[in-house]
Amino acid sequence: MKGKEPLSESYYYILLCLSKGANHGYGIMQMTEKLSYGDVKIGSGTMYGATSNMMKKGWIHEIMSDEVGAERRRLYQLTNLGREALKNEILRLQRMLENAEEV
Amino acid sequence: MSAKYKTSYRAYPAWDYQAEIEDLNRASENGWQLVKGGCFHSKFVNNPDICYRYQLDYQKVDDMGRYIETFREQGWEYISSTFNGWHYFRKIYDPSLPEDSYEIFTDKESLHEMKNRWARLAFILGAFIGIFAIICLVRMVLKPQLPVLVQLLTFAIESAVFLRGGYIMRNQAHYRNHRGSRALFVTFLCLIVIGCTASITLIEMRPILSAQQNTEEVIEPIIDNRWVSFDVRYPDNYYLDLDMNADVPFTFEIVNGNGEIMYSENGTDVHKENIRIKLQKGQYWFSLTAEDGFELSTSIE
Repeated sequence: MKGKEPLSESYYYILLCLSKGANHGYGIMQMTEKLSYGDVKIGSGTMYGATSNMMKKGWIHEIMSDEVGAERRRLYQLTNLGREALKNEILRLQRMLENAEEV
Repeated sequence: MSAKYKTSYRAYPAWDYQAEIEDLNRASENGWQLVKGGCFHSKFVNNPDICYRYQLDYQKVDDMGRYIETFREQGWEYISSTFNGWHYFRKIYDPSLPEDSYEIFTDKESLHEMKNRWARLAFILGAFIGIFAIICLVRMVLKPQLPVLVQLLTFAIESAVFLRGGYIMRNQAHYRNHRGSRALFVTFLCLIVIGCTASITLIEMRPILSAQQNTEEVIEPIIDNRWVSFDVRYPDNYYLDLDMNADVPFTFEIVNGNGEIMYSENGTDVHKENIRIKLQKGQYWFSLTAEDGFELSTSIE
């Protein structure tokens, strides 16, 4: 049951933003706003809570950026488990859309 | 206003943290910038040239570096934390941005998570203190006395406040009564201090006394009636244990200053525990009439 629970909007967008590659919190926030045309915002409190929980679940993990010259920053990277959670959510959403079209 | 620093001793109950944020924002508009936030007092510095918006988060942080960085990325400056896990942040106020751009919880789920974290703690604390209240209630039924009654009331009110606080925090949408609750909170703090002090003082004031007498060891038997005296400093129920036996009949009495007999027992063998006697304020005597060959032990508390 636990694994089948729908993701919250914030969780969904965080996973979605990371599916293209590792990113830091600010990058995720910006990308989410751009993707959702400003509809979905992820505040700092929500971001910290969501990333902490997802790290505990093993969906994402933390790496350090190794850009030369740039400030070393924390990046989040999707794990296989996280990729699967995202895939399941997309399937669930797809099914819901298909259902809407059928009715 | 010439002072550069000031300390505010305003305290807020956790479930009223929104009121604290509103007050911090207002203070900032008036030129007072928070330096250190606390449960019971906050420090401010005067700087009228800048204006901040504040936010509070209740979080058990595993990785402080990551936590602060997550906030800094979005323009939040970390100020300080309280010992019990509240964290203060501020961001420079830009009047061209909408007020909701200063939210740190942007979905229902994460806001509820934060509130539930605190509510869970409040429920555990409330239940824990509630157990103490129940223990006091049982003691009160078995052995009613003033210090236990004071403890019972203190624990019961504390427990109720925490349980109610947890409930309010979890269903915060219904709670919008800022001013009144602050007065209530201060009253609550005073009550805990007064309750604890009062019950300790009352216990300290009770006569705790035990007297023993054995003719095998004492050459002179007690024949002048006056054995030991003790002071009762406030009217209450007091409890007496008796363990006495003698070869000849004896009379044991508790006598007050006016010579009135408050309690009396006679025979050759008396073994009793937790005899409840109502005593007023004043001096009392254990009085004994016996002739020879006794072994006596008594205590009162």
